[in-house]
Amino acid sequence: MTAPRLLPVETPPEKPRRRLPFSPRHLFLMPVAAIMLVPLLWMVILSLETEVQARSFPPVLIPSGLHFANYPAAWNAVPFGDFFLNSTIYALSTVAGNLLFCSLAAYAFARLRFVGSNLLFIVFLATLMVPYQVLLIPTFLIVKKLGMVDSVGGLIAPNLCSAFGVFMLRQFFRTLPIELEEAARIDGTSRLGILFRIVLPLSLPALATLGIIQFMWSWNDFLWPLIIIDTANHAPLQLGLSMLQGAHSTQWNLLMAGTVMSQIPMLAIFLFAQRWFIRSIAFTGIKQ
Amino acid sequence: MGLERPPAWKRILGSEHLAGWAFVMPAFILIGIFALVPIGWSLILSLQNNNLLAPGHYVGFANYRALAKDPAFRSAVGHTLVYTVLFVPISVVGALGLAVALNRKIRGIRFYRLAVFVPLVTSTVATGIVFLWLLDPTFGLFNYILHAVGLPQQQFLQDPNQALYCIVAMTVWGWLGFDVIVYLAALQGIPDELLEASKIDGASSWRTFRSVVVPLLGPATLFLVVWSTINALQLFDEIYVTTRGGPLGSTTVIVYYLYEQAFQFFNGGYGAAVAYVLFLGILIVTLVQLLVGRRTVYYRS
Amino acid sequence: MPGVVLEDVTKVFPGGTVAVDQLSLEIADGEFVILVGPSGCGKTTALRMIAGLERPTTGTIRIGGGVVNEISPRDRDIAMVFQNYALYPHMTVYRNLAYPLRQRRMPRRDIDKRVREVAEMLSLEDLLKRRPAQLSGGQRQRVAMGRALVREPDVFLLDEPLSNLDAKLRVQMRAGLKRLHTRLGITTVYVTHDQVEAMTLGERIAVLSDGKLQQLGPPQEVYDRPANVFVAGFIGSPPMNLLRGAARGGRVTAGQLVLERPGVPDGDVVVGLRPESMRTAVDGMPAVDFRVDVVEPLGDEVIVHGALAAELIAVDTAANDAQVGSLNGSGIEAVARLDPRHRPAEGTTIRLGIETTEVHLFDAATGLAIR
Repeated sequence: MTAPRLLPVETPPEKPRRRLPFSPRHLFLMPVAAIMLVPLLWMVILSLETEVQARSFPPVLIPSGLHFANYPAAWNAVPFGDFFLNSTIYALSTVAGNLLFCSLAAYAFARLRFVGSNLLFIVFLATLMVPYQVLLIPTFLIVKKLGMVDSVGGLIAPNLCSAFGVFMLRQFFRTLPIELEEAARIDGTSRLGILFRIVLPLSLPALATLGIIQFMWSWNDFLWPLIIIDTANHAPLQLGLSMLQGAHSTQWNLLMAGTVMSQIPMLAIFLFAQRWFIRSIAFTGIKQ
Repeated sequence: MGLERPPAWKRILGSEHLAGWAFVMPAFILIGIFALVPIGWSLILSLQNNNLLAPGHYVGFANYRALAKDPAFRSAVGHTLVYTVLFVPISVVGALGLAVALNRKIRGIRFYRLAVFVPLVTSTVATGIVFLWLLDPTFGLFNYILHAVGLPQQQFLQDPNQALYCIVAMTVWGWLGFDVIVYLAALQGIPDELLEASKIDGASSWRTFRSVVVPLLGPATLFLVVWSTINALQLFDEIYVTTRGGPLGSTTVIVYYLYEQAFQFFNGGYGAAVAYVLFLGILIVTLVQLLVGRRTVYYRS
Repeated sequence: MPGVVLEDVTKVFPGGTVAVDQLSLEIADGEFVILVGPSGCGKTTALRMIAGLERPTTGTIRIGGGVVNEISPRDRDIAMVFQNYALYPHMTVYRNLAYPLRQRRMPRRDIDKRVREVAEMLSLEDLLKRRPAQLSGGQRQRVAMGRALVREPDVFLLDEPLSNLDAKLRVQMRAGLKRLHTRLGITTVYVTHDQVEAMTLGERIAVLSDGKLQQLGPPQEVYDRPANVFVAGFIGSPPMNLLRGAARGGRVTAGQLVLERPGVPDGDVVVGLRPESMRTAVDGMPAVDFRVDVVEPLGDEVIVHGALAAELIAVDTAANDAQVGSLNGSGIEAVARLDPRHRPAEGTTIRLGIETTEVHLFDAATGLAIR
């Protein structure tokens, strides 16, 4: 499946006598772009103001000086270092887990015939229909039983393998020409070998998509950490941010500095890997 | 010398059945423990009086009966529905208009697209925090704008009559990019020739849009409506960060109510019942949407 | 009179590509003209400019006498059949046919009458309730034509409408198109890269290459008297054999071939021999040795491929160059169509001759025909 081109292809026939030197679309798109960007812009502006300025009316657009001190202050007000670390571990672990376990299962469903496979797949699919809020309370109890409450492990464990990932990869694997795998089998490669040496290398787009989706989901996850984590040192980023908010809710400059810091990684990744992001998101929509 | 049949134990070990189950085992264990078991356990919990600390005792359908009569739950459902009914059409229709506008190769289009996509990447928590400031009754930017054009100051998130609508605006801002991406991809899938043929057939731009483009976007629209609805019914993060369900409970939605019940008041059984009712609600709404969609949406083979 | 006139039409795309170069063409009312040429020659661009889907960079386009450069497609009263048919996939055949009429706000009863008329004309009556996805290629093609005809347009534009059909259907549809034109008499401009289609369908054909008009005329005339080397090499299947030659004092020499052509100016020339013009040499004919490599018996004739005792050149029709490009002898084979009764054996060398009157001469520098 080829990824959709998101760059426009249509060039309209040149319109006769334009009354404006530019396309009228700009008149519509400019305000829209402004609306979308203004909140983020203010986030940055406020992060560089003093506490007084951040609360003054009218709002201060250009701060008197650039109070970068807000940033280290926010970093120290709550254990930001731990937040980043925990989120990174959480996100990377769930991505790795998903890529590995979902690949294994998806390959089995796609290419292997084993007793009960159809039933099992349907059961997996059925879990997708259930909203995760239903799973929330019992999962909490299970994690508690496993002694993983208030730890990063407790964050990771329930999210190591998603039925969505299994489904997505299975669909993708089925589109690969089976002759390649058959040739490898004749050459004596084990099934595991086929998966790792032939199927997965050909599945990079799908794996990247799954990876990105899972990464974004884990990085921005809030409700589950809220329930599981009590100690600030064990909190991932978004939960940590809300802790900052809880402790310093009126110090907007500090709060915004913390917010900016917490959003930078995701924004940076997005800007560098735009195409993959957009492709992944479009993919979920096109599949339907 | 012919090839001999390998011994039975070798056959089973090398068999596809074993391999299949071996491959599937990690996923099976993980999904089993963290999805299948919870689904069943949740049902059991909902039939219990359970405070999540000590084992609970069975009360049959008491929780569900209580839910049906619970005014707080009723208003949570009401708030959720109001939110959904506003959020879904606004974001889907808005995204369609935006996607059409963004589907051209004019100068700066990359910048405009980026501007539309970026809010999607920010987390729900960050969105909540920023909008808390923007909507502040005293020094927020929006009140400043109102002030500048001579309109009275609003309480926004602190006004029980306005708070929910503010949440709608905030979440539309945060999620619009997703819908735009899906629509843009779908628009790209419409062959230029169809649009040209329509032009030659005498249709105005608007007519072409209505008769050719919109019907062909049917599958994308259906997907977005179903997806947005499911997400809207599960709203939580922004509420927690901004209003904690207030003021006066005006922004308490179903999932927030669940959170309160299960993790603040430790009514585990009750919370599980709420979850199951939510599940049922989502299922019914989705089914209805899909059925309607099947009848009205054209799928290209 | 709704004819179509292009006056010095040029189209330059952003980026510098000159798709159409000073094209001037006059199509009479009711005429069936074919624009033919290799891919990239500008024929589709020219068609789209007539339709109004592209605007000429310079030049004028007239339909029915009036200048239409500024007029949008929907107001030009033209109809177009696209290469991929462009049928609305979500509408039934009936609604596809009715769509153009609904845009013109015709009363429903008239629409229905007209749609059924056209459906009957194209044998689509039984398919009205189906969707395009449920139709075969040929049926879709007819629906596309029906949608174009339903409005009784002044000009009918077709962009390679048969290229997606299998060979047998193509032959059938060609005949059908011809019948349709005879019956309806609508001015038709038809684009194709297939010169067989061009020869069989057109009242006049316009050969394009590299955005420029190479020759315009009735098919037989273009075949018998190609204006330049490009047209000579493009029209005709198997293609004309082109030999490198020189003219001196009224005598043209191309390898072994020698012919007398008084009045031909001295210089390098290209000698063109159509495969069917070559026959077993008789005394007095200009003749040349032909070593037979491959013999293809076709029943009513025999096609032989081989090497001539002369230097063959090729006109690179894919590169759109009307100039004489040269690939030296090796690799290009000569082709001749012979009487099956005198079938030569592979590996033998025969002597082929040609009537002087059937030899085509072209100036090697300009590519133009020398008469």
